[in-house]
Amino acid sequence: MLVLFLAFRFLPAIGAFLLSLTDYRISGKWDFIALDNYTRLMSDSVFHEALLVTITYTVIFVPLTVLLSLGTAVLLHQVVWKRGFFRGVFFLPYVTSIVLAAVIWKWIYDAQDGLLNSVLGLVNIGPIDFLSQSNTVLPSIAVTSAWKGFGYSMLILLAGLQAVPKSYLEAAMIDGAGTWQRFRYVTLPQLRPVLFFVLVIETIGAFQVFDAMFVMTGGGPVRSSYSLVYFLYDSGFKYFDFGYASAIGLVLFLIVLIVSLVQRRLVGRDD
Amino acid sequence: MAQVLDRPPVRPVVEKPSAGRRTAGRLTLPTLLALTAIVTIVPFAAMVLVAFAPPSGRTFPDALNPANFTLENFSKVLSSSDIPRWTVNSLLYSLVSVACVLLFASMAGYAFAKKKFPGREIMFWAFLATLMVPFQATLIPSYILVAKLDWVDSYWGLIVPTLANSQAVFLMRQFIMQLPDELFEAAEIDGAPEWRIFTMIVLPLVRPVLATLGIFVFLWHWNDFLWPLVIGQSGQMQTLTVGLATLQTQAVPINQVMAGATITVVPSLLVFGLLQRYLTDSIAMSGLKA
Repeated sequence: MLVLFLAFRFLPAIGAFLLSLTDYRISGKWDFIALDNYTRLMSDSVFHEALLVTITYTVIFVPLTVLLSLGTAVLLHQVVWKRGFFRGVFFLPYVTSIVLAAVIWKWIYDAQDGLLNSVLGLVNIGPIDFLSQSNTVLPSIAVTSAWKGFGYSMLILLAGLQAVPKSYLEAAMIDGAGTWQRFRYVTLPQLRPVLFFVLVIETIGAFQVFDAMFVMTGGGPVRSSYSLVYFLYDSGFKYFDFGYASAIGLVLFLIVLIVSLVQRRLVGRDD
Repeated sequence: MAQVLDRPPVRPVVEKPSAGRRTAGRLTLPTLLALTAIVTIVPFAAMVLVAFAPPSGRTFPDALNPANFTLENFSKVLSSSDIPRWTVNSLLYSLVSVACVLLFASMAGYAFAKKKFPGREIMFWAFLATLMVPFQATLIPSYILVAKLDWVDSYWGLIVPTLANSQAVFLMRQFIMQLPDELFEAAEIDGAPEWRIFTMIVLPLVRPVLATLGIFVFLWHWNDFLWPLVIGQSGQMQTLTVGLATLQTQAVPINQVMAGATITVVPSLLVFGLLQRYLTDSIAMSGLKA
């Protein structure tokens, strides 16, 4: 048991750091090259592109998924009618794999025979080749991931909404606050820690995006959906440049760490 | 008590929306809810329709006519691909992992929660620290380790590294910590050996958590992609998710891809249908993420 954790959790974590300082090749031969992998990353235009794609994707995905899950959570909270059923429906995509979501949505976006273009065709729009244009590919993938995953954040937010003390809302009502004002000045501040949690979880998830891109676009067109993890995967398993790939992994770790620290600063200021 | 009852109940003084606006408001929200639900379901419905649609002809409107439904896509995709083999791999990967992770996590969780041993605090913090490192960051060293053990493209390589599940250990520890110490002390005083305390006291008490955790571990593995992709390099060792991904990069007709997709989703749906309440409640309470 302990050996297992030592071997497969601690060793890889430390190993990742050590490997990133070497030029470990598939033959098993390696030399210590200090920070060469990192200086190489800094001047690698593919790395810059992948970083930009990942950040752009995150900027699209996080607001989309947070609004979607907040919206559905609020709806579920307000409407008592068949709540369990609807909650189940929204949660359903979450238990499936991102690969399945990617396969279905790849067809939905298809230019010839896809569902979306068939519907758009009815109103004489398109066909739009969503996954082959550099300006539509990232939003399209973000929609797919948001569809697959919003049920999770929705449940967390719903639990948060239900924990807002009724007496606060009643007090605001007595003071004459309307629906929007009650939501804005009572519910939202109360929801802040939960919202913070969701924001961090979704941002970290967005920075690790890979599966959907691998299945839907193969990183294309011309690397416009080529994320950091995709770059890591290719460096490791296409070019067998294990040291370099480990350096990318470490950069990913640092980004995730910084993001959660920064968001803690910004959103969690008063708690 | 009497004082409270003396006063008439305070009625909220709010501008009352007109009756019309009120019913409109009452109707709009459920309508919006229902519409969102339909949009959420459409991709699944489309998948199933296309999977049963005749392979020739355009997808629309042909796919919408139940008279044309056929099982042809299913039989074709089953015979032309390795789906049966992939299913076995996925089941092994998921079920063996569930059994082992549950056992290891409850043992380690018990040790961390109730046993005093040198270095416990440091070890526990080391556990927590590994939770912070994204899996992708350790992908390469994990792979090299598996390669050194000559486990690439084998069940050992696929399953063993994923058994070290820090999140599961953490969850079990949190739960076992809440159990009263007296239970374990009483057993120790009675001279019960350690394995008896574990099987007779710890395991029965953690059963509800085991159920929830089991579902999550199952879904983690059943839906996992990157690790099986890297380890199961030959077609024989692929799991269903990896197989599905390769299926649609080859020139397999869309109807057959959707038939394959429908097959992969069945176990997730079963788990969901049977255990939805467990799943949703535990997410709301503990923030477990599949």
